[in-house]
This record gives sequence, structure tokens and C-alpha cells, in this order.
Amino acid sequence: MPLTLANVGEENIIKRVGGKPEVKQHLENLGFIAGGNVTVISAISGNVIVKVKEARVAISREMAQKIIV
Amino acid sequence: MMDVVRKNGDKINTKQLSNELGVEIIEISALKGDGILEAAELAIEVAKKAQKNPQHTFSGVVEHAIAHIEEATVHNMPENEQRWYAIKIFERDEKVLEQLNLDYDVQAHIEEDIKAVEKELDDDSESIITNERYYYISSILKSCYKKKNAGSMSTSDKIDKVVTNRWLGLPIFAVVMFLVYYISMVSVGLAATDWMNDGVFGDGWHLFGIGSSQYSQATDAYGDSDQIIDGFVAKYGNDKIANAIDIENENYAEANAKKALEQLVDKTPSDAKVVYQTQDEETLEVTYHENTSKAELNSAVLAYLNTDYKEAYGAPDTSNYGIWVLGIPVLVGNGLEAVGAANWLIGLINDGIIAGVGAVIGFVPQMLVLFLLLAFLEACGYMSRIAFVLDRVFRKFGLSGKSFIPMLVGVGCGVPGVMASRTIENERDRRMTIMTTTFIPCGAKVPFIAMIAGALFGGSALVSTSAYFIGMAAIIISGIILKKTKMFFGEPAPFVMELPAYHLPTAKNVLRSMWERGWSFIKKAGTIVLLSTIFIWFTTYFGIINGDFRMLAEDEIDHSILAAVGGAIAWIFKPLGWGTWEATVASITGLIAKENIVGTMGVLYGASGNVYATIGSVFTSVSGYSFLVFNLLCAPCFAAIGAIKREMNNAKWTWFAILYQSGFAYAIAFMINQFGGMFTGNINAIGLTFAFALLAGMIYMMVRPYEESVKPAKKIKQTKSLEGAV
Repeated sequence: MPLTLANVGEENIIKRVGGKPEVKQHLENLGFIAGGNVTVISAISGNVIVKVKEARVAISREMAQKIIV
Repeated sequence: MMDVVRKNGDKINTKQLSNELGVEIIEISALKGDGILEAAELAIEVAKKAQKNPQHTFSGVVEHAIAHIEEATVHNMPENEQRWYAIKIFERDEKVLEQLNLDYDVQAHIEEDIKAVEKELDDDSESIITNERYYYISSILKSCYKKKNAGSMSTSDKIDKVVTNRWLGLPIFAVVMFLVYYISMVSVGLAATDWMNDGVFGDGWHLFGIGSSQYSQATDAYGDSDQIIDGFVAKYGNDKIANAIDIENENYAEANAKKALEQLVDKTPSDAKVVYQTQDEETLEVTYHENTSKAELNSAVLAYLNTDYKEAYGAPDTSNYGIWVLGIPVLVGNGLEAVGAANWLIGLINDGIIAGVGAVIGFVPQMLVLFLLLAFLEACGYMSRIAFVLDRVFRKFGLSGKSFIPMLVGVGCGVPGVMASRTIENERDRRMTIMTTTFIPCGAKVPFIAMIAGALFGGSALVSTSAYFIGMAAIIISGIILKKTKMFFGEPAPFVMELPAYHLPTAKNVLRSMWERGWSFIKKAGTIVLLSTIFIWFTTYFGIINGDFRMLAEDEIDHSILAAVGGAIAWIFKPLGWGTWEATVASITGLIAKENIVGTMGVLYGASGNVYATIGSVFTSVSGYSFLVFNLLCAPCFAAIGAIKREMNNAKWTWFAILYQSGFAYAIAFMINQFGGMFTGNINAIGLTFAFALLAGMIYMMVRPYEESVKPAKKIKQTKSLEGAV
């Protein structure tokens, strides 16, 4: 399922990162790589704050939907 | 960030890390300033030595391909650069490929190698490298990084759970913003700004506020006595009495004043009913007090003659209470008069330079308080959360979550509002925010709005409320329209932002950030604002009367250069319903500072004594409202234009912003006048046709579908929150 649907506070393993090559690359640079862990800290109508690689990153719904966990 | 690491009780084995990476490591904390000098010194030392090649390796297949690429393309480069180029070629980095300009054959050959690896690892080459790097990083971290409470939530996360909560996020934000607004604009800021405008750049001020309260008590006790006496003098008195009681008259003497007042009381019949008028200083509104009886005259005369709570006859004088410090205009005026300077020079310095620049500098204390609070919110990490909370709301009309702050600040003054847009990293969003922020009615527009409301709408509060709604509607409509134009279209920038952990910023960082913004504003007041105020002053107070070019008195302004210019371009505003030179000139002087509109109209429409009545006879409610909306939405004052120019950092965009604002204002005011005329039976067929066409065009611009973006945004700029220098 996409990251937008993940429960707050649960640790998930990223299965796949989709989207256009640029978007994918950008997300990967931020630490969203297949096999990595990601935890949703907070969510507002699809926008999420996640913990990834010990950093806190806020991403919009459009981007979060491209991350499959 | 070592301070944070230590505080959390985490451990980094720097020695081990240094061995693994093959470089020396220095622990630093940018926030606290620890270890920075050592790091810089070591960097210099290392730079002098011969360079070592990096030690880490990728997995077998990738290394194999990279070795191939090195051999085929970059073997004639310096050894320590080969590997970097090879990896970039493997990633198909556009810039590097362009720079190397490889032969077609070589490229095809390499492409085969890359494709083979991609097939084997089932991913694209760029992702492979990224993944490999993360794998390498975690393999090193395993041996040298120990987190104390791994997996549990940090304090920062706990705060985030509350402040970015689905339900609490917006209310918390509203409270924080209210506090920021209240402290900077109402409590501390307003007091400071009033002191600057009315004190330092006004008549004067009480040192440390000593005497202010006694003075205001005295004024309250004195009340409208002067006006009441004037009202009776006008009906039952004569010029002699009027002159005798005028404190500012050269031949004023207390004994004469007392005698004159006795005379006035004698002359007034006991059943007299008189009308007297008072005028509001800010909005120039005149109020009539009818059926004033002789008893009120008697108490007014007593108040006039009273010397218990004031030192002399007449209205209390501020300078007699506490320690009175004269304002700069008074000091300069007295000084210039003492040295016998020419009238035009005194006028230029006081009415032109000090009044104009002072109006701008007057906002400085308010802005410094605001900048201080915003710098704190920014530095502690809350600002980036605000953007997150508001992003979905603002995205609906093409703005980013960060656009809210400039608009909020803009309610006080457009200049810091425009400057607050600096926190928006995405260029399109920032430009759009800059262009729309000044639609919000700023503090300086309030007196003028109140003036129109009072003169034409019976002081209805709905007028000023509607001004705020029109401002907001203008932002939303512009957001939707502009987002669909060529200049702004394209993928809405994806919202990605690294959030720093909450931390208490150092006082030094916050103060520096406040000062940087404040200072650039002050500098502006010294340059662009100074020049434009001199220009407007000159064109207002000079003109040709009876063939002579000379300086004009206040009541001769209709002969000024500005009046001539206003008369020449007034036709432009005919379709808006107020194509007179007075209204045109008022709008032009509004460019110096919007509160000037009130002053100018006061001078131009004040000949008959009652500004409101004159405005009421010159404007209809429709044309008055059109005038209000035009001045509300059109180009802001010079100070704000200067801020726009600075933030756009581009002359073309500055002009575009100003022209867009003025054009938009013109279109809306035009529609208001034409449609308003339709309802009030003042139909102009041609104008109405144009207005309908304009409305249809605007609706089309809003509802048309987004154009397919020709090219996807090439590079998504990584957005980093402003976290000082951490």
C-alpha cells in the first residue's frame, strides 16, 4: 500500500519507490530506498511527516503515494 | 550537531569511523560553534598534502561495470578523478555526459554494460548507486554508531505529534500566529510605532512616558470646550472675540481672552441652541453636535479659564506635562527658522524628506519585534511545520503552505509581509506570494478605508470588513488565474522538506536574523523612498500661478505640477467613475504611503471646511467604492514596491508584479463601477459590455483546465528548512 495509508507510529519497510526518474531519485536521496524503514509520525489529509534514516521529512500526498510500503 | 548527539546520549566512535572512511574526523557543533576552527585548520592541512583515493567499494557487478567505464572513457584523466566520472557516467548524469562529449560508439558500448547491471539488479542505474551508498553507510554505522534509545520517539517527535496533529494542528497554528500578530502589531509594536510616528517624527513625546497619563486626563477633562466655544462665537460672537481667545494669535493676552469670553457669555441669550463640530484627526470625519445649550458654554468657558490641571488658559499643552521631548520635524523646523532658511527649504526638509522617510522609519520598531518573533519561530523549527500544516489548504489555489505567513504579516504592513516571503524556497510560489501579499489591506490603508466608509456609507463597519474579504478574494482569484498562465504553470512543486528537530535557538542567531531583515528595510527608506518623496513633494508644492513658477501654499495645490499631471491622466480613471484630478492625485500620493490618501483628500476637498460633505457630493457610493477598491488593490506604496524589487531581485518581475496588481485593481474597480451603475440606474452600454466581457474573461481564466506542462520540472530542488548554520 502507499505510504499515505500507513498507520501513524507503525514502522514499515519500503517495498518500492515509484514515480518519474527525477522524483524517484529525489526521494531516494532523502533516504526512501527499497528495503529501508520508514515510520509515519504525523499525517494531515495525505501529507505526512515521516522518520526515515533518523531524519524527519515532510512530504506531500502526491509524493507519499509514490512510496509503496 | 555533536551537541545534540551528546545530549541524546548517543555514541559515535569517531576513531573507528575515521579508519573506515580513510579521512580524519573532527567533532563540531555549528550551533554552539565548537570545533569549527579545528575543522577548518585540518581542512587546510589536508588540502596541502597529496590526495588519497576513497576506499569504499560497491558490490561486484557494479564495480565491474565501473571498471569497464573507467577504461573505456576516462583513463587519461588524473587518477583521483577517474572514479567519480565513471560513477557519474554509470548514473547517466546529463551534465557530465555533455561535458565529456563521448563518441557515439563508446557511449553505445558503455550503455550495454549499464543495461546488463540494471537487468541483473532489477533497478535503474541511479537507484542502484543510491542503494549501494545507503548499504555502505549502514554497514559502517553498525560498527561505530550506538543510539541510546533506538526505536523510541524523541521529544521532537512527541511535539510533532501534537502540533502537526490532524485536529490540533490548525488551532495551535492559529493561536501562535495570533500571539505573533498581537505582540508585534498591537501591544509592543503598535506602542513603539505610535511613538515613532507621533513622537519622534511628530510633535514630540514624553520621556519614559512621564506626564502622558496626566496629559490625557487633562485632555479628557477639557473635552470639546474649544469647539463648543467656537460654535457660540460663530453664532453670537465676532472676529474680535475669536482673535482674543485664539492662543496662537500673536497679540494673545490672557486678560483679553478672559474679557472676550465674558463678553461672549453676555451676548449669548439664555435659551440659545447652537451646533458645534468636532473632527477626527485620522479620518477627518466631522461630527455635528446639535442643540448645545448655554449651560455647556458656561462649563466650556470655565474649563478654558481653569488653571488647576493645566498651566494656562485654553486647551492643555502636552509640553507642560512630564518631560517633553520635541519631535524631529519640530526641532528641525525650529532650527531651520532660527538660521533663517528659505521657506522652500524648510518645506522640502520637513514636509518632503522627514515626513516621507519618517512614515517609513516609523514602522521599524513594529517590524523589528515581528522579525524577532518570526526569526525565533524559524530557528526553533516550528516554521517548517506550519508550512506542512497549511500546505493542503493553500495548494487548492496555487500557493504553498508558506504563503500564509507573508499574508498574515501583510495585515500590519506590506513591507515585512513581502520580506517574509523569503522563507518560501520554490521560486514560482515565492513570486506569486510576493505579487499577491499586498492585496491584503495593510495598517496604512485603514484610515483611508474608514474615510470612504464615513463619507459615503454612513460609517458602516461592513465597508472595512468587505475590504479584508476583497483582499483575500483577490489573492485567491489571482492565485488560480496566475497558476494557469505560462509564467507559473508546470507541475505543482512537490512539497518535500527536511524538518529539523525542535531546539532552542541561540540569541545570537535570532538577533542576527532580525537585524539583517530590519537593516535592509532601513536602507531602503534611505534610498528609493527618500528620492520618491522628494519628487512627490516637489511636484505637489510647486506650480505655475499667473505665469510665475513658484512654491505654493497649502490651499493652492490645485495649481501644482502634480495637479497638472493628475488632470492629464485623470481620463484613465473615467471608466472607474472617479476621473477627477483630485482623486487621481490622491491615488498618486498614496504611492508614497497609503495614509497620504487621507491627507491629500483632506487638502484637496477641504476648501469648504467639511471634507466628508465634499467627498459625499463628488463621489457616488458606487464610484466611491470603486475608488476604494482600486486604491486597495493597486500598486502598493514605494516602500513595499522597494521590498518587492528586493525580493524578486529582478526588474522584469518587479514590473510585472506592479503592472499585474494595477491591472487587476483597474479591472475589478471597472466592474464595480459598471455593474454598480447598472443597479443604480446609471447605465453606460459600452462600459457595461466591456465589463461583462471582462468578467467572462476572468471566469474563463479561472476555470480553464491546467495546460499540459510541456516539460516536466527538470530538477526538483531539494528544500532545506532554515536551520541557521547547522
